Amino acid sequence: MSTSKLLAAALPAILFSTAALAAGETIAVFTKNQTNPYFQTVRVGAEVAAKSLGAKAVHYIPTKPDSIPEQLSQVEDVIVKKPSAIVFVPVDYKAMVPGVEQINDAKIPIVNVTDRSAGGKFLAFVGADDYSLGLETARFLLKEIGGKGNVVILEGVKGSLTNIDRVRGFNDAIKEFKDVKLLASQPANYQRLQGLQVMENLMQSHPQIDGVLAANDAMAIGVIEALDGANRKAKVVGINGTKEAVDAIKTGKLLASGDYNGFLQGCIGTLVAIRALRKEPIVTEVVLKPTVVNASNFQPYDTPLESRSCPSWNEAAALASKPN
Amino acid sequence: MSIASDAATRPIGLHLSRETQQLAYRLLAVALLCLALSIATEAFFTANNILNVLRQASLLFFLASGLTLVILTGGLDLSVGANIGLSACFAATVIKATGSPALGTLTGLATGLAIGICNGLMVAKLRIPSFIATYGMLWVLHGITYYYMAGETIHGFPPGFRQIGSGYFLGVPIPVYLMLAFLLAGTIFAQRTIWGQQIYAIGANPVAARLTGIPVDRRLILVYAFSGAMAGVASIVFLARLNSAEGDIGEAMTLPAIAAALIGGASLFGGVGSVFGTFIGALILTLVLNGMNLLAVNANWQPLVTGLIVILAVWFDMVGRRRT
Amino acid sequence: MTDQAVSSPLLRLPAVPGVAVALAGLSLLFALASPGFLTAGNLSNVLVQSVILLLLALPMTLIIMTEGLDLSMGAVLTLASLVLALIVVATQSLALGLIGALAVGLAFGLVNGWLIAGLSIPPFVATLGTLGAAQGLALVVSDGQSVVGIPRFVRLVYSGETFGIPTPILIGAGFYALFHVLLYHTRFGTYVCALGGNRDALTLAGVAWKRLLVAVYMLGGAMAGVAALLMTARINAGHPTAAIGLEFDAIAAVALGGTSFDKGNGWLFGTLLGVLTVGVLRNGLNLMAVPSSVQVACIGALVIAALLVDSLRSTRS
Repeated sequence: MSTSKLLAAALPAILFSTAALAAGETIAVFTKNQTNPYFQTVRVGAEVAAKSLGAKAVHYIPTKPDSIPEQLSQVEDVIVKKPSAIVFVPVDYKAMVPGVEQINDAKIPIVNVTDRSAGGKFLAFVGADDYSLGLETARFLLKEIGGKGNVVILEGVKGSLTNIDRVRGFNDAIKEFKDVKLLASQPANYQRLQGLQVMENLMQSHPQIDGVLAANDAMAIGVIEALDGANRKAKVVGINGTKEAVDAIKTGKLLASGDYNGFLQGCIGTLVAIRALRKEPIVTEVVLKPTVVNASNFQPYDTPLESRSCPSWNEAAALASKPN
Repeated sequence: MSIASDAATRPIGLHLSRETQQLAYRLLAVALLCLALSIATEAFFTANNILNVLRQASLLFFLASGLTLVILTGGLDLSVGANIGLSACFAATVIKATGSPALGTLTGLATGLAIGICNGLMVAKLRIPSFIATYGMLWVLHGITYYYMAGETIHGFPPGFRQIGSGYFLGVPIPVYLMLAFLLAGTIFAQRTIWGQQIYAIGANPVAARLTGIPVDRRLILVYAFSGAMAGVASIVFLARLNSAEGDIGEAMTLPAIAAALIGGASLFGGVGSVFGTFIGALILTLVLNGMNLLAVNANWQPLVTGLIVILAVWFDMVGRRRT
Repeated sequence: MTDQAVSSPLLRLPAVPGVAVALAGLSLLFALASPGFLTAGNLSNVLVQSVILLLLALPMTLIIMTEGLDLSMGAVLTLASLVLALIVVATQSLALGLIGALAVGLAFGLVNGWLIAGLSIPPFVATLGTLGAAQGLALVVSDGQSVVGIPRFVRLVYSGETFGIPTPILIGAGFYALFHVLLYHTRFGTYVCALGGNRDALTLAGVAWKRLLVAVYMLGGAMAGVAALLMTARINAGHPTAAIGLEFDAIAAVALGGTSFDKGNGWLFGTLLGVLTVGVLRNGLNLMAVPSSVQVACIGALVIAALLVDSLRSTRS
């Protein structure tokens, strides 16, 4: 038998076996990039949820981080594949609306996770309230420095929804404390190195900084390195509740991190999608309440992602703000 | 034959005098920039901030100095930023696994070097244009890094290792010493050794260089290997400074590194430029960024200003060249 | 080369360019591996997705043929798209918006051409500078925010159909035909071919080649303006980072298509094949649900491999 004949004989078998694998629902999971640890938590959450219900999660991530045209192309390609349902984190909440509408036209059920899309029809939205997350995290820090002193804000990427709301939360918290002075609010684009360097530069013009509000953990960790390097002390908070932040909280370097709980978002988003496919009751809106992870409550966050389990449906439904 | 050797030696005699003149202008530009910033903000001209600027410039310099040699041969290395990412991630893994910073550092340097040698082989032996070969390499490296890291970060290194990035000796940051050492070594290599002179000759006229018996292929592999190794050095300093490794760690550094070399007087046609000039280029770029942070200028203006400086610097050289 | 080398199968095989081999091989592979690939819907999908890249790669071919480079294209496209979005939202007039986008593109093309032809600044440097300028202006104009509220008729440019064919495909085909005629059947095209590597001959013939070079870069800017229309229609918004880095994709597609960087040898059809190869690769890997990290490495390997085939052939002949 020649090789080509062997191949010809084997090919249908391969195709058939992949088809058999996909007999359970296939959930296409869209995230923004492969570099930010936050989206890894969303992906793992989605996988754990899918596995628990006998479905399969397939990931689509732009090869260029946060690329709008690329995520649109991926949406178009995935529509050809017709997955059972889609769990969707838009790279941009406004510019991805045409993509969502194409998915709607193709009648593929879709759940919106993390950033609330500005348009399109979704089964449900699962996310965290960035504004109250910023507000609560900032309040925690401001109380910790005794309600007085000098603070700086490190902003994320300009124009991104998460950044706008978090920074608004920071600013509103600062307004609640009359003796707190905001020295500067500078962007470091959610980047560690930029967080480090912007902080180094800010320390030059401000001899006394008591608190630093960073709009994500990567920048907060950068700030800590800058403080260490200059032998200065300030309380620092970040947002996301990443593993790295939890480690820094354990060693006392980071005061706290607002918990964005990507794992839970991925879990619940996927649960909702699969339940909708199985015609089981779902919820249409889950906005996770802010938790400020700090030295007194970090233990549950200290387990590896893969070994965490998704909440039961009843627990998840209890978090919902709009049951169906 | 005599014409060919003339062509090879002529630029060497010329570039020294013109180079000196160019460097004088650039030093003047640095002085004026410093003067303007000192007047604009009193936070600028302090010992702390000057050391701060030097330390921030060092990362850019490590990358740009290796790149300068590549540019001297008339080539380009677009993979340096991605190289940093992979080298840093491998080095971080080894440090974590073995607890030995020395082994980790070796791993980082070896990874950088190996990538550089691959680039060199593609350009010298397979004759793929350097722009495309290193651009392809950039994608390959990103792919490996993303796959390897799977969206995670590696963080928390021994304090001794951290000294490389954040330590001080006699009040001056360690990276600044490293930068000065490489500046000295690079300058001596390029200006005072036969190999260095051969690199200039290759850039000035590759055909003539080959005819005069310069082992062009080996020298080409050498410069790409050197560029890769310098990315390895940068990755170690990055690691030590940030105390963590993630996939996109050096991504935003490639174009600034090229810009630093160009601002420093290197010509993409080859044969013109110097390591010291690149040092000045890195300094100018960092000063501008530092000044914008100190003056709290809207970060949106930053790419615009950088772009204009690149054009101005090169235009200045063109005018100078036409006059002589 | 010796007779032995001429008769070796290695020389006869690559008479077909590397890019054609790559495109055919990938298509075959995906057709076998993914049932969704060879459907009319998906193929039209790949074509539509490739149009924006093609609009940049066409003028990039001409620019590279003049031994130049334009790194500013992606950033100029982004800025033009924002200007178009702002004008259309304010005036509800697509024509005015398109004029604005073209004006931005032409202005940047003029500046690029002037820096390169007038001031003799190397193209890489000049356009790296204008890349920063355009990116900075895009951020300043938009303050880092998306511009939304684009009227429905703009979106139809991308999602609509004309004579039953998706409009972007017709636009892409039209511009390909235009560039083909321009390059191969006009005096302008002949001069462009001569600009890379035969500049002295042009001077001797009394051709004002500097003006010609400016025109080539302005053509690039104008095409960025046209692509801006499609991009805006596609994402239904103006976004300050929408097309960042797209110029490198365009350069890679042109190089993939066999246009060489230093001899002025360009091949327009090769560019088309290069664009399609990138499009097919991305689409096929998505259909096969290949992990994103592997996709990234595949793109790099493809670029190197295709160039390797061409380089082997040219060293042998």
